[in-house]
Parts: sequence; C-alpha cells; structure tokens
Amino acid sequence: MPAPLILGIDLGTTYSLAAVMTPAGPAVIRDAAGIALVPSVIAFQDDGRVVVGQAARAGAVANPLRTVYSVKRLMGRGIEEIQEDLRHLAYPVVSGKGGTACVTVGGREMTPQELSAMILREVKARAEAALGQPVTAAVITVPAYFDDSQRQATRDAGAIAGLDVRRIVNEPTAAALAYGLDRKDEATIAVYDLGGGTFDVSILHVAGGVFQVLSTDGDTHLGGDDLDMEIIDLITADIRRQFGQHLTFPPATRQALRDMAEAAKIRLSTEPAAAVEVDLGDGRTFQRTITRQEFEAAAAKWIDHTIEHCRAALAAAHLKPQQIDQVVMVGGCTRIPLVLRCVEEFFGRRPYTALNPDEVVALGAAVQAGILAGVQRDTLLLDVTPLSLGIETLGGATGKLIMRHSTVPCQATETFTTYVDGQTSVDIHVLQGERELARDCRSLGSFKLRGIPPMPAGMPRIEVTFLIDANGILNVSARELRSGKEASVQIVPAHGLTRDEVTRMVKESYAHAREDLTAHRLIDLRNEAGRILAAIDKALANLPGVLSAAQRAALDVAVADLKAKMEGSDGDALYAAMKAANDAAGPLTQAQMDEVLKKTAVGKKLEEF
Amino acid sequence: MAKDPQTLPAKCRQCSKPLSDVAVCDFCHSINPAAAGMDYFTLLGLPRQFELDEKVLHDRFLALSRAVHPDYHGSDAADAQVLSLQMSAAVNDAYRTLKSPALRAAYLLELVGGKSSAQDKSVPEGFLDTMMMMQEEVHDAKTSGHAAELERLRSVLTTQHDGLMHRIAGLFGQLQDAAACDAIRNDLLGEIRQQLNAVSYVTKLLEQAG
Repeated sequence: MPAPLILGIDLGTTYSLAAVMTPAGPAVIRDAAGIALVPSVIAFQDDGRVVVGQAARAGAVANPLRTVYSVKRLMGRGIEEIQEDLRHLAYPVVSGKGGTACVTVGGREMTPQELSAMILREVKARAEAALGQPVTAAVITVPAYFDDSQRQATRDAGAIAGLDVRRIVNEPTAAALAYGLDRKDEATIAVYDLGGGTFDVSILHVAGGVFQVLSTDGDTHLGGDDLDMEIIDLITADIRRQFGQHLTFPPATRQALRDMAEAAKIRLSTEPAAAVEVDLGDGRTFQRTITRQEFEAAAAKWIDHTIEHCRAALAAAHLKPQQIDQVVMVGGCTRIPLVLRCVEEFFGRRPYTALNPDEVVALGAAVQAGILAGVQRDTLLLDVTPLSLGIETLGGATGKLIMRHSTVPCQATETFTTYVDGQTSVDIHVLQGERELARDCRSLGSFKLRGIPPMPAGMPRIEVTFLIDANGILNVSARELRSGKEASVQIVPAHGLTRDEVTRMVKESYAHAREDLTAHRLIDLRNEAGRILAAIDKALANLPGVLSAAQRAALDVAVADLKAKMEGSDGDALYAAMKAANDAAGPLTQAQMDEVLKKTAVGKKLEEF
Repeated sequence: MAKDPQTLPAKCRQCSKPLSDVAVCDFCHSINPAAAGMDYFTLLGLPRQFELDEKVLHDRFLALSRAVHPDYHGSDAADAQVLSLQMSAAVNDAYRTLKSPALRAAYLLELVGGKSSAQDKSVPEGFLDTMMMMQEEVHDAKTSGHAAELERLRSVLTTQHDGLMHRIAGLFGQLQDAAACDAIRNDLLGEIRQQLNAVSYVTKLLEQAG
C-alpha cells in the first residue's frame, strides 16, 4: 500500500504554497507555468464568486473593499489587540462574537478561520491538479511564536477547508528540517525568519537526524507589511505636504499605495533607488524617488527589534552569538541587504542564503509530513512551546504551570477545590505569557470544570491536567480524586471557535462549494446559450425562407424563452430552454448541413475535372 | 523510607517477547504501559544517584524519544496514541528534571524519602542573614544603576550557588555509603533539603540581579 499523501502547507501572511515528500526528497508544488506562490488574497466578486491568489491580488485596486489580504494577522486575535493593523487594512474588520476580529464583505461576516480556509482550499486544489490525486491530509506551518489561540485557529481553518490537519509545525523549525535534512555533522543553528507579517528566531541543535529546538523568540506582528507601511508613510507625508494636509486616501488609492510600496521594497533590494508614481485622481500625479538609504533609515527600527529577539533567544538557550555555527535565513524580507548586514553583524558570520527563502518552510512542512507518513523514519523533531502556560490565581497573579521552551509534548497537573458547599463547577482562567499579572498575559479562555460531585466546601480534589501536544496546542482534562469521577471540561476560548462552530463551518463550506459549483455551471451554460443564439441568427440570415411560418414562429418563441432564462439563475431551466431552442432550430440546422454537403460535393466534382 | 524500585514486567504485553528495555519493546516497538508510572531514573535507564553522565542522559533521552514520540504513533489505535502522547510528555519532563542539577537533586531527594520544600522550609544556620544582606546590596546596586557592582554580586551569588550544589553532590555520595543506618540517612536527607532550599533562594536572587 502506498504511504498516505500528506501535503505540507506554508500558510503565509502574503503568500502560501505547498510541498510534498517524494522519494527524491521534498518538492514544491508548481502550476503549469512553474509558479509555486499563491498570494494569500481573497476577492469576493460581484457575481458571488470567490477568487483566491494572483487574480484576486490583481483586482485589489479596483475592488478594495471586497479584497481580503493579510488575514493571518487576524487569526485568533481580539479586535482590541489588532488596532494598529486596522490602519493598514482597506477592507472592513469588525468586532465579532466576544470581541474576536472578523471581516465583513458584502454584508457577510466571516471569521479569519473561514477566510484562511479559502486560501487553503485553493492551495489544496492546485496540489490536487498537479499531483493528479485527491489530498485530504496536511501539515500546516505557523510562526513559532503563535500562541494557543492562533494555532487552534489555523487548525480550524484546515478543518473548514476539508483537510485533516495532521500537525501544526513551527515555521523556523520546518526551515531547519529542510536545511539540515542531509547534514550528518553536528551543528547549532539559528533560523532567522522574517516573513510578510511575523518574525521568528529559533535556536536548534542539529545532529544525525535529530532536530532539537533549544529556544524560540519573536513577534507575531512584525514583518514585511511593516516595512511596506514605512514606505507608505514616507510617501503619504510627502503627498500631503505637496497637495494639502487634509488629503484623505480612498480605499482604492490605499490599495495602490500598498502594491507600490511592496514593489519599491523589492526593487530596493537590488537597486540603489526606486521611482514611485501615485495617481491621485483629478489629473494629479505624485512622483518621487526613494533611495535605499531612505528606506534603510525607516526600516532600521524594525530590524533592530528582530536583533533584540535574537539576543533573547540566545540568552534563553544559554549561548553566545559566536557559538552559532550557521544562521539560516527564511522569508522574503531576508533578501533585504540591511537585514543581511544586521544579522551578519550580530552573529559575526555570513548568513546562509543558499535556500530559496520563500520555499524552504513549505519544503520543511513536507519533510514533517514525510515523518508522519512513516517515509522519513530516521528524523526526530523535538520542538518547544514558545510561551509559558499559567492560570490566574487569587489577586490576578499568574501561576505558571509549564515554563516556556519546554519540549513538547509536555504536561502539568494542578489540584483545585471548591469554595462553597455543594459547588459542582469550578472556573479556571488559563493564560499564556511571561508576565506576572494575569491581565498582562494572553487569555486563552476560561475552562469550566463541571460534574463535580456535591461535597462540603474544600473537600473535592479536582486534578486538572494541562497537556501541550506536539502541535503546541493545549488539551485539558480533569478528574475528581475523591470520587475518581472524570469531570468534564468546557472550554470557552477567548478568541477562537468552539467545536460546534467548526463543525458548522465545515458543513457550510461544503454548501458553499456546491454554490460555487452552481455558479460555475451557470456561467458555462450561459456561454453555451450565447453560442446557440449566435448560430441561429447566422443560419436565419444565410438561409432565409427555409422555415415555414409555423416553424419560424415556434423558433422565435424558443429563442425569446432562452434569452429570458439566460437572465435568470436557474441552471436547469436554462438547460431546458437551450434544448428547446436547439430542437426548434432543427429544420434550420438540417438545411444548413445539406447546404454544406452540397458545397463539399460541388467542390469534389470540380476537383475531379 | 526509600521507595522500592518498581519491578518490571518480564514480557511485552503486545507481543509477549521478553522485554530488554523498560519503556519500549525491542521487537514490536509498542510502548510498555507500565512505563507511564516509572520514576525518571528507571524510565531513562539510569542508576538512581545524583552523579550523572550528561552525554549518556542525552543519548538515552533521544533513543527513548524516537520510540515514544507521537510523530511515530500517528497511525496507532487511539489508546496507543494517548499513551504515546503521555509517555512523550513524561520523557521530556524526565530529561528536563534530570538535566538540571538542582531539579535532579530535589527529585532524587523525594524519591529516596526526603521531605519536599513544602514540608520542610528550613535553611542552613546563618544563611538567611547572609541572604538578607545580599538582597539589600542587590537592591541598592539596581536602584543606583551600578552595573559593575551588580556584576560583582552576580559573580558572588554564582559562586555561592555552585558551592551549595557541590556540597549537595557530596551529601548524596555520603547518603549512598550510609544506606544501612537510618539515623545517619535521615540527618543527611534533612541537610540536603536545607541546602536545596538555600539554592532556591540564591537562584531567585540571581534572577533579580539579572
């Protein structure tokens, strides 16, 4: 039996792509044109169709309010946590249930999970087309510094996309897997991953197929998008100076600015300067040249932040910069000369750039998929949890149960009791983070322990087990020790989906898939109907007088009906009308065929002479 | 009293072959369910003592991880997957605990019948006075931003920490020699507890001075 196919997917802020394990090693999935990167952009078109990828990105300027991008920044977050992002997003973000960030397009409110699922479905479909077989399972990568809510959200997105998510793997760890697969020697490596929206640095020990993560640090809100924003701020300040401080930018202009800033950033990696031009409408155009020096001055503070994270990761691993044998660069932003310079300066060695920084994470995800499928037996991956896990104790303090950088899976148990006679449930507030006060940590939600046998206050001993699995996702179970009864744990995630919501969305996604299919069929049928009408018109013009008055009247009725059905959205009715028109045009078609045969016969005869 | 070392099942429950390894069957690679309750020394196949070869610990950790990690049990039955997850968590915690001398000492102390830090909070004679003095010095150096003084204090505290750990290692050595005499054993266990409590104080102060 062939090993089950598990797709490795890099679900990025700006681009997504997939790779698969082959007998020759991991390989990136490409379309017929050789393109691997799918822009993580979703466009909701006026006809109800959803377009994902390059086409969606290309239409972003024309359709700014219905084009969703950078959705990864919203995953598992509350609206109050992403205020800074909202400034950059052209599409409307609203506060959904429990303050969770949601997106509204065309009056429809969608969770970031559902939107990410659309991207995943596109990546999946491309892989299926390229591989010629269905894909049902995947490994999806996330920034190492993603917390439990963000990981859960990613896993839920996979489920909504119809994927059995076999593992959530950290992006820098995946990169290390792709990098170190063929290395036999022992090395301590640092992976510097500056992506579209997130920054991670991980320190790993690699030896003989063992990949042991020692520490990880980062910022889930620091990436190429921020550098683009620096360029936009630079330009908009100039525009306002030139055309008036009161100038506001409509969504289409903001979108155009975004595209232009990204293009300028990329250009500045190879050129000393980049020219930009912005159409402000009313015949006003703004032109300017941005020099690399200007860009670097604006970008420096962000790059400095990344170096601070490198310092923290090294300190946590009890290592000094000179003890790092190799620095592996990941993410499109590591092509920026300033980034390379700062990293080289900090680690005192030239970073390793031989791997394609856009593709290495997906390749690593494919390696992890290979391990899970049992085709990559000699590789052992030991990752860590990026944040400490704790519970809120009396007085709003954080009681840490699992320390950050603990190798996963890991678990801790804590015993709780009741405060009131006959109390049958206990609430636990679970937190992630390093701060002393609960309010300074990320709230994962409240866990309600139910089914505690009624006893005098303080008598029950409820042992709660907090287990962080290999995905870095928390699982909680509870048992009342005196009765030995399994207590049920009801989880109310702070910013996430309940199991019921995920199930509903999976169902809805199938329904939407049918809707999409219906929309597709309708478009095809309309096109076909258009061809039929054109053919009838042509035949009527070429062969007048072929039809009897009754036949002509019947045809006119059928054509009118077909035109009416083309305006509607009932595919079956349209199909029936097409068939009726075809039938009514039967004598005409027959006459046309005869005419063609006659001509052909004439032609032959002429040739024979 | 010291707990008895757990007795091992002689045969694998899955394939009934003799078990040469405590946690995982050599023949069918199934995880021995009894391993979930083993103490960390037994689990990693190490002698129950404070002295430890870090290289051996690391090698045993990797070998055991290869055997129990959920990555390799994804297609197992549901209960075997749960066992893999729990065993993997136990192996990771065992490694973390035994790798750190202070954690290893505390774990071993309780394993051989010593009191926990919650049961016995006492510290060596005169230690608290020294600590209070040091605490004040750290506080002063921090508030006045005196970097060189802070560095000196860190170095003093590190020396103190290492000295305490060295003493604890010696006490564990004596404990092995005194296996036959309960009175001496109990004295030694109490002393190790005091030294370990002192280590916690010094570690906390080092963090503050960091």
